[in-house]
Amino acid sequence: MKWWFVPLWKTVHYFAVSGLVGIVGLIDLRILGVAKGLPLRPLQRLMPWAVVSFLVTAVSGYALSRIDPANTIGPPVNVAYAAKILFLVLIGLNDVLYFATGLKRQVDGVGAGDSTSASAKIVAAVSIALWIGVVYWSRMLTFLSGAI
Amino acid sequence: MHIVDILQQWSENSAFFTWLRESSSIWAYPMVFFIHTLALVFTAGASVIIDARLLGAARRLPIPPLSRLFKAIWIGITLTVVSGVVMLGTDVQTKLMNTLFPLKMLFVFAAIVLTAVLRNRVASTESSASPLVRVLAAASLVCWCGAIAAGKFAAYL
Repeated sequence: MKWWFVPLWKTVHYFAVSGLVGIVGLIDLRILGVAKGLPLRPLQRLMPWAVVSFLVTAVSGYALSRIDPANTIGPPVNVAYAAKILFLVLIGLNDVLYFATGLKRQVDGVGAGDSTSASAKIVAAVSIALWIGVVYWSRMLTFLSGAI
Repeated sequence: MHIVDILQQWSENSAFFTWLRESSSIWAYPMVFFIHTLALVFTAGASVIIDARLLGAARRLPIPPLSRLFKAIWIGITLTVVSGVVMLGTDVQTKLMNTLFPLKMLFVFAAIVLTAVLRNRVASTESSASPLVRVLAAASLVCWCGAIAAGKFAAYL
């Protein structure tokens, strides 16, 4: 394997994570009341790009885990890796809740200067907390490898 | 004595940096590294979305209110820089002498300057950005990507 293989995949992964966290972070922060001048419908129209970014993180993340499986899926399974996947599943459930309960459509109607509902704020706060968690567990991957 | 050697010696004599370097606690170096990653990902992510809007993406999104996000971006930049300097302090010699270090710093400083320059321009840009603002936005995008790539590759040199 060429020496630049791992840093190249990591760079791709990091770019995609930045795009993803950028979009998700801006939508969540706006729902929580930051930069209220932004209407939410055009902001939420960026969601497909967040999905594209997520797919790139998934592919590059899978490639990285295959390069050094001992660091993630083991055996023994890395605690940080297990926690990261759990948090991603929780994010998925939180997102399903957001769409299935009609909150997404309700938030689409929130224009410039308007406030969102308390339930939308809770979903956004949970989303931010879980994403911070995902970054935390990702950073801990190399420090907690083989801990189970 | 060379400035790098002086800093290296100072770091080796410092109780704080010695603890950070030698402790196996996840509250030591890993926590600083986490703050660096989290703050950078948010800062670069938010900046790149604003750059993309200035370059013509997501046209229905009004530009002036985006200027309100710069406070959060500055908090992110501050956390990234402080945590970066602290990590640098744990291993001055190796990190400062890395071949990619000057390039990374060039990208970082340029990205920070561009953030400061773009803030006021975002506030006063209506539906579409001027050619100058577009050039600045493209430069900002390149600098954030360059800083991340240089940082990733630096660890493998």
